[in-house]
Amino acid sequence: MSYNAPRRGKLAYKFLFWFLLISLAPMGVVGWHLVNISQNVLKEESLRNEESLAIGFAETVFNYVNTFKNVLAVASRLEGFATMDSLRQERHLSRVMQQHPAFLELSVFDITGKETVRMGPFLGPSPPLRNFFDQIPFTVSLQKGEYVGGLHRFQALYPTLTIAVPIVETTATQANLRRGVLLGKLSLNGLSQMLHQEFPEKGRNQASVVAGDVKDSFLVAHSDPNEVFRREASIPEEILRVIMTQSAKKGGGKIELKDGSSVLGAYAEVKDLGWIVYVQQPIETAYLAATQMRKQIAKVFLWVVLITLLLSLAVAGHITQPIRALRMAADRLKAGQFEDLPEMSMTNDEIGDLAQSFLQMSESLKEKTGELVRAKDELESFTKLLEKRVEVRTRELKAAQDELIKKERLAAIGQMASVVGHEIRNPLAVINNSSFYSKTKMTKDGLMDAKIDRHISIIQSEVKQANSIIDEILTYSRARELKPEVQLLNHFLEELLSVYPFPSHIQVVKDFDSRDPVVHIDADELRQGVRNLIGNGIEVMPKGGIVRVATEIVEQNWVRIDIADSGPGIPQDVLDKIFTPFYTTKARGTGLGLAVVRKVMDRHNGKVDVETVIGKGTIFKLYLPLANKSSQTAPSAGHQAAPAPAPYAPQVPQLSPPPAPPAGARGTVPPQTFIRPVLPAHPPTAPGGRPPTI
Amino acid sequence: MADNKPIPIKLLIIDDDEHLSESLAEVLELDGFECFEAATAKDGIESAIKNNPKVVIMDIQLPDSSGFQICQELRRRFRDAILIMMTGRFLSAEEKTQGFELGADEYLIKPFDLQELSVRIRQLLSRSHR
Repeated sequence: MSYNAPRRGKLAYKFLFWFLLISLAPMGVVGWHLVNISQNVLKEESLRNEESLAIGFAETVFNYVNTFKNVLAVASRLEGFATMDSLRQERHLSRVMQQHPAFLELSVFDITGKETVRMGPFLGPSPPLRNFFDQIPFTVSLQKGEYVGGLHRFQALYPTLTIAVPIVETTATQANLRRGVLLGKLSLNGLSQMLHQEFPEKGRNQASVVAGDVKDSFLVAHSDPNEVFRREASIPEEILRVIMTQSAKKGGGKIELKDGSSVLGAYAEVKDLGWIVYVQQPIETAYLAATQMRKQIAKVFLWVVLITLLLSLAVAGHITQPIRALRMAADRLKAGQFEDLPEMSMTNDEIGDLAQSFLQMSESLKEKTGELVRAKDELESFTKLLEKRVEVRTRELKAAQDELIKKERLAAIGQMASVVGHEIRNPLAVINNSSFYSKTKMTKDGLMDAKIDRHISIIQSEVKQANSIIDEILTYSRARELKPEVQLLNHFLEELLSVYPFPSHIQVVKDFDSRDPVVHIDADELRQGVRNLIGNGIEVMPKGGIVRVATEIVEQNWVRIDIADSGPGIPQDVLDKIFTPFYTTKARGTGLGLAVVRKVMDRHNGKVDVETVIGKGTIFKLYLPLANKSSQTAPSAGHQAAPAPAPYAPQVPQLSPPPAPPAGARGTVPPQTFIRPVLPAHPPTAPGGRPPTI
Repeated sequence: MADNKPIPIKLLIIDDDEHLSESLAEVLELDGFECFEAATAKDGIESAIKNNPKVVIMDIQLPDSSGFQICQELRRRFRDAILIMMTGRFLSAEEKTQGFELGADEYLIKPFDLQELSVRIRQLLSRSHR
């Protein structure tokens, strides 16, 4: 088989088995029947042959005896024989004897039974004459016209038959007058000779003639002449039993011998004599044709089986090939491989249809699997999106919650600060008043001493300090209403800087956007925020430095205010906390400066961001939404100043990614620590990247 | 300061914090004012009626009344007096407006600069005398 299957499926063998069964079984059955029939016919034929052989022999035997009987009859009816004298009769008979040497003895009896002539080759010159008056051959031949019988062994050797015929005188006057009897002893050796000629070989292929019955049989002739001369000469009893007990005149069949072998025997009765002619041949020889035929057929059958087997193998392989291909394809499908399916020959039959259907199925499976995979991917991405949304939402909630907490905390602080502030301001006022009184009074009375004056000044200064702290706290915590108004940002800053008490060691650099950004702000609050940042910047540069204040429009709707210093920068651990209220690094400070900045930016829907580089400086970036220019006069300006605005502008897309750190951001501070405005999404890099001016 | 001025200006301080009243009074007396003190609104009004001060400095919060009520009452009684409200906390714009509408002339956030206060009082006095 040409296909290169890794292993042959069971199906092929099943096909094979059924093919063989279907094709060979009927043939086998028919063949077996035919062989049987043929064999039976052949056996029958063999038997018929044997039978006809036996019948032929039987006739021969009959003719043989009849011939000699006729010889005697002719001799007895010879004209004048009855009336002849003994001498002439003797001469006459001796001629007969010369012609027919089978006669062992010839005798003539007169009508009284007295023997008148007796002659024979073994009798001698003058044998004794006998009287046969009451002897059976004599009486029977006279009564019935002939006698044939008296089987015996002449001189205990030759099987001999006695034949007697009446001697009849035929004259004109006395018709058929019986004058005596002519008796002859006939040797039956001739029969054995004849049989011997037909069955020359010895052994079981033989023929014989028997007389008598089972108990007392007489072997008349045998194809092996020596058999006849044996004492007690006979044929096996089992054969005798078969042939002697048959009522039919002829017959035959298979006979089992005592020695275990079988022969095919046939018999026929000899007419008138009652003898049985028996022929036999070994069963092997008899059935040779049948056996050979069976062998031939078996050989043919084997060839047929062999050829059918090969053909079936081929056919089964051919039929199962597409099925196996299908199976391999199915295996591949099972493993999830949709490509490189084994080629399936499209036969124009049910298997072809099956292959076609299978291919369609695999196609649709492939499609469905693809759809499933796509659906799964979509689901996954959708899940991711959802997760992201949940995350964002959670973050928003957290932020809102933080905001709320912060607000609540601030409110609480505000309330507390208000109470505490009031309660502390009274004693502060008293201290202030008393110290002032002491100083004024002592100066007036000339009691003032330089040291006391100094200490009173310290007290007053401390009172101021304490008071300013209270101011700061109250400013941060009070729930003041925002009062936004349209402002030109550059102008606003310019004004602020012009009145700010910069120390002499600080250099101020202004870098304003020429586009003149317009903003909608609460000037007091924003001013406070910017002042806080400038103040911080100055504080970190006690030995001098640069404070740079810049504005720049970023994106379309935003402006950024940079307040940069060239101070030492803010360390990472501090940077995280700088906007936390009450967090401070100063010996004296409320820690509210930057918190205020952040609060202000929140209240303006803006955002504060910080960039710092250790040793180089810090930039605080305030992002403010640009005011719509038309809103400078539009009544909606007041609308924008709605109290308690949301910390983030509603138009701010919450999901936009935080802006990447400006290109100029230095690596000392990880980008994620920057407090970023939600917008702009892409902070301008040019000014943002600029290092603080030194 | 005002040694040559024979008639000192009468000034009433109403505050429940006695130390504050006392210290403030002492300081202002050094500056030539004649000071009266009261701890409650009721005492304050009584003292004002009795002494007829030119200037009244009152705390916004008093034990028996709000400063605004006293302010209103005093303005009703003393049309020309200088009324100064004093407070330890921030005042909202509304509060301030309310105070001014009720007749207050000035607000003071504690603690205050005493020299400034003195100057401011004299300013207000000279304005009201014009």
